[in-house]
Amino acid sequence: MKKYRSYILYLLLLISLVGCAEKKLLEKVGLTTLIGYDLGNEDNVKTTAVVRQVNTEFQSQVAIITSENETSQGTRTKINRRSSKKIMAGQLRGVLFGEELARKGVGHYVDTLLKHSEMSGSVLLAVVEGQSKSLLEFEYPDIDDIGDHIYKLLEQNIKGEQMISSTLHEVGHDYYSPGRDIAMPILKKDKELIEISGVALFKNGEMVGKLSAKDSFYVKLIRDNYNTGKLEMMIKGDELPSSLMKNPSDRIDLVFDPIKTKKELKLVNQATPEFDLQINVKARLMEIKPYIDVGKPKNVAKLEKAIGKSLSEELSRVIALSQEADSDVFGFGEYYRSTVRHSDLTQEKWHGLYKEMKVNVHVDFTLLRSGIME
Amino acid sequence: MKNSIQLSQKSTINAFLLFFIIHTAQIGVGIHGFQRIIYQDAKHDAWISVLLAGIATHIIAFIMIKTLEMYSSNDLYGIHQDVFGKWIGNFFNIIYILYCSAAFFSVLRNYIEVVQTWVFPNVNTWFLAATLLLIVMYTFTGGLRVIVGVSFFSLILSIWLLPMLVYPLKFMEPRSLLPILEADMSGILKGVQSMTFTIIGFEVLNVIYPFIKDKNNVRKYVHLGLLATTFIYVSVMLVSITYFSGDLLTKTIWATLSLFSIIKLPFVERFEYIAVCFWMLIILPNLCLYVWAAYRGTIRLVNVNATKFVWIFSLSIFIASLVVKNRTQINMVNNYFGQVAFYVIFVYPIFLYVVAVVKRKFKSHKEQIE
Amino acid sequence: MFNKKFKLSSAKKQPAAEGEKSKENEEKTKSTISPLKSVFIKSVGNAVHNSSDLKVKSIHPNLTLIYIDNLVDGEVLKKHIIHDLLGNTSESPENVLSVLSIPNAKLSGEIDGAITGMMDGTVLIHVEGYSQIVLANIPTKESRALSTPENESQVIGSQVGFNESLTTNISLVRRYIKNPDLCNEEIKVGERSNTAVSMLYIKGIASEEMINMLRQRITDIKIDSLLDSSILEQLIDDNSLSIFPQMLLTERPDKLCSELLNGKLGVIVDGSTMAIVAPHSFLEFFQSQEDINLRWQIATFARLLRFSAVVLSIFLTPLYVAALTFHYEVIPQTLLVTLSESRSLVPFPPLFEALLLELIIELLREAGIRLPSKVGQTIGIVGGIVIGTAAVQAGITSNILIIIVALGALASFTTPSYMMGNVIRIIRFPLILLAGYWGFYGIMFGFCFIIIHLLRQTSLGSPYTAPFYPPRVKDWRDSIIRMPLPFTFKRPSNTRPEDEDKYEPGPVNPEKNEQKVE
Repeated sequence: MKKYRSYILYLLLLISLVGCAEKKLLEKVGLTTLIGYDLGNEDNVKTTAVVRQVNTEFQSQVAIITSENETSQGTRTKINRRSSKKIMAGQLRGVLFGEELARKGVGHYVDTLLKHSEMSGSVLLAVVEGQSKSLLEFEYPDIDDIGDHIYKLLEQNIKGEQMISSTLHEVGHDYYSPGRDIAMPILKKDKELIEISGVALFKNGEMVGKLSAKDSFYVKLIRDNYNTGKLEMMIKGDELPSSLMKNPSDRIDLVFDPIKTKKELKLVNQATPEFDLQINVKARLMEIKPYIDVGKPKNVAKLEKAIGKSLSEELSRVIALSQEADSDVFGFGEYYRSTVRHSDLTQEKWHGLYKEMKVNVHVDFTLLRSGIME
Repeated sequence: MKNSIQLSQKSTINAFLLFFIIHTAQIGVGIHGFQRIIYQDAKHDAWISVLLAGIATHIIAFIMIKTLEMYSSNDLYGIHQDVFGKWIGNFFNIIYILYCSAAFFSVLRNYIEVVQTWVFPNVNTWFLAATLLLIVMYTFTGGLRVIVGVSFFSLILSIWLLPMLVYPLKFMEPRSLLPILEADMSGILKGVQSMTFTIIGFEVLNVIYPFIKDKNNVRKYVHLGLLATTFIYVSVMLVSITYFSGDLLTKTIWATLSLFSIIKLPFVERFEYIAVCFWMLIILPNLCLYVWAAYRGTIRLVNVNATKFVWIFSLSIFIASLVVKNRTQINMVNNYFGQVAFYVIFVYPIFLYVVAVVKRKFKSHKEQIE
Repeated sequence: MFNKKFKLSSAKKQPAAEGEKSKENEEKTKSTISPLKSVFIKSVGNAVHNSSDLKVKSIHPNLTLIYIDNLVDGEVLKKHIIHDLLGNTSESPENVLSVLSIPNAKLSGEIDGAITGMMDGTVLIHVEGYSQIVLANIPTKESRALSTPENESQVIGSQVGFNESLTTNISLVRRYIKNPDLCNEEIKVGERSNTAVSMLYIKGIASEEMINMLRQRITDIKIDSLLDSSILEQLIDDNSLSIFPQMLLTERPDKLCSELLNGKLGVIVDGSTMAIVAPHSFLEFFQSQEDINLRWQIATFARLLRFSAVVLSIFLTPLYVAALTFHYEVIPQTLLVTLSESRSLVPFPPLFEALLLELIIELLREAGIRLPSKVGQTIGIVGGIVIGTAAVQAGITSNILIIIVALGALASFTTPSYMMGNVIRIIRFPLILLAGYWGFYGIMFGFCFIIIHLLRQTSLGSPYTAPFYPPRVKDWRDSIIRMPLPFTFKRPSNTRPEDEDKYEPGPVNPEKNEQKVE
């Protein structure tokens, strides 16, 4: 009895003495859902925060607050001074970098984001063509909550395997990895809409080039394995014997979905270095223009071969483009490190080799089926 | 043996429960962030270090049981008194008690640090220490039965955390593990030594041994428990190496919690906030078993009852936890403690076994002559 | 001091030491009966303070009947005792005894016992000149008709519940278990109320150690009066300070019998509709008798549902409070919008909001119990809907919390034991407070505290957390799941039964196998 009384006493004492932990009441905090970083004057950083607020009419509102300071965390206190609610970043979904800033380097920001226990590893990162401030501040007639909209736009495209994934974790992973560089989607304001316009290529955390949105498929093809995804591509007319077509034309347009791929990479020569890249693609034909009878096995074999060849050409082109920009977004360096013993690979060392790298691409294409009508 | 422990049937426990005791005594705060420490030594072969450390625990446990079996029903404190005589034996006992207290303190302080970093940066250290000590005291006064019960429930109720490792697998890069054995042997062995802080806890066997009902099953369950721990550590290490890239892992202080941060369930996000708080249940057996081990030693030296002991013990730990203020001090404590623990846990049992065997041979030889 | 006495209604032997003790006791308190009629009447009258319903009736000048009017069956008195004695001529107590045609009659030479007996409906027959009297027990049989159990209703299974009469209740049990090994020890408890308490167990199954322990606990009670078994339960359980009940109270004879057959002990108190069952582990409070009656898949589903309901009921509101007060990060984006919009009008912090709503629910429940049953239901529904809707519209609470609190309340009522259901509801309040102060850390603190507390409890000396801890894997077959009957042929080891096997674990369907051979 005595023992219990003392326990209860102590509990009460603790509660009354300590009060409670710092409260973060949901309705009292302004939840930052999206942050845009831009380059300000004199090396300052200009931060644009999209803050979700809930008003009493059961409606969510979005406030866009911009401030400028020397450090990214410093802007946060400044933003706080302009908001009626305490700004919290625990529900942050996306971080955008202005192109100018990205070209100067995002490494520091990635580092700061990773350091914070408030940030989730699944925050999505992207680059904005032009300034992120102008992208965020524009009043889009069809978009209520721009933070939510951009996050869902990116997420949907990443889930559908149309765009390379760029979560904070993956960007951090690549940033600290000696044999792989960061790649992020590029967003662009297109009149009253926002669209993904391409892929930004980085080297040591600095943006060095970009690929078109369509090329991001090929980047992804080399980086990861596909399970869903959709591809629209074009083969030159002379790749196929004209006998296959009723009305021979100089280009054939094709759409595939869902694509399953399996890739195999081999290091053939350590010194140069030289890779053999073998990719097996299995897909369903969705659309083909002009008409080709895919009911005949012979036609299919020829078509498959032509597509395979065309795909490998495209892949080689994309690899060459990134080599030109000196950005290894594919992770060839990572493969080199894991194959060559005691390579002691550093970023500098790999970038020295990367320029000289040779990749022999070979694509095996298999047509699985073609809809419900032949 | 003159100072062996006589127990009634009721106060003994099943050997089967040793599995839970050993396993939960090992897993505690170390698992939050052991990856980076081992990775610094052994790079992407860190998992080999973990595996080797696991094997080392099996060997040490084997020797411990051998030593204990020589004294059918006695604990380490009694063996000390028997092997080294009263004065030197008691000196060793004091060292062991201090070791247990240090282990207790280090677990407590590290957990408080994690809570303060992830969840409540503004809550005072002393408050967290007081609440944790309160719970430990409540368990301790319930006796060994309750302490073992806490270990049992701690494992059963936290087993669901293991499948959560599947989520980070989505971002896995299996090639990060290659080439295997790139690090040199010294690096890997250094990693094994760094593992000490994380993998200790099974030494509680030294104290709990006399309380086991069916002693012929001890070996089986102790090794099963160690095997389970090794399995968990190795799998966490493998997932971490493939999930983080090299330099990122060396910068991530609590890699396991960062692993959890990627988990998104339909009804909950940011899983690590829940995991950090839930960890209270996981460190509870750690704390309770250490304070109990210290108590078993103390009653050999001075006559003190359990309630009085736990009050004095908690009070001194409480004060100590206020002295250690920041991260650097905590890391310093961890480092020193890890080094001491390495000698207490991995070196000393071998020495004790040799001395005990020699002494026994000598004694029987003497008896034969007489 | 009140008498510690055992009346062994069954022929079972009693530990020798205790038997001797009670014999000594009897000798001390024994006072002789006067052979003189007037002195005897006076002494009885003094003992009951000349109560007005004490009746003295002389049949012959030498033969006197003394009884309390309201306690004896007048019909039997007239038709049997008076009728039998009228024709009786030779006058000695032995003779009177032989003439009486009622079964419950005996000789006694001790006045204290006689007066205690009189309070149970015994007629004292005094014969002038003898220091022994005849006691004829003819109590009135006033009791409520058997009805369905109000608090523990079930769809499949017997629909009879205990009533307030001890004899009826014991006859109910004996009707289920027709076995001479079913022992019934009667113990009188209460210095003033002298309540009969029956301890039931099955010899050869129930552990002797537990029988002795329970008997000791009941006889050790020094209390003025005992009016209900729920009071006895609080007096004899292992830790009466704990919020958790450690013995089951049931009003179902079939539940009591199935537990007796599992090796447990039962206690029935005269005047109470609830029987006590001990030892009972925490887990068993959530098992319903119906689970055995239903097919095992359905029973397993029902049990899992019940356990998850309990967990939900305890932790849902605290989690809501913690997440909204401290951990907004863990709320998924889709939920966040709904949550923050519903909270936007509420002027109170979540802690206060939740406590308010929980208290309203408790108020409704308490009012529902106190009001007459028909009005109670209406108040429950009307009050719930009106207050709930009004509270949301007035902006005092968020509608999501209303759902959570109502769900929690609903879930707590799925617990088959009313006593345990209360605990599940009340235990939420400290957890909500902890959550409101320290978020998930506070909830975890409370959770650890509850687990340790449960681990520290025992029920009649056996662990409260069985069969999980200490782990008895065989008993897990009938725990949060229920395996088919051929797998549950052992009695739970928590009761430490003398005989472990319920039945032979034969083939699953022996008859079907035979048919196949044909």
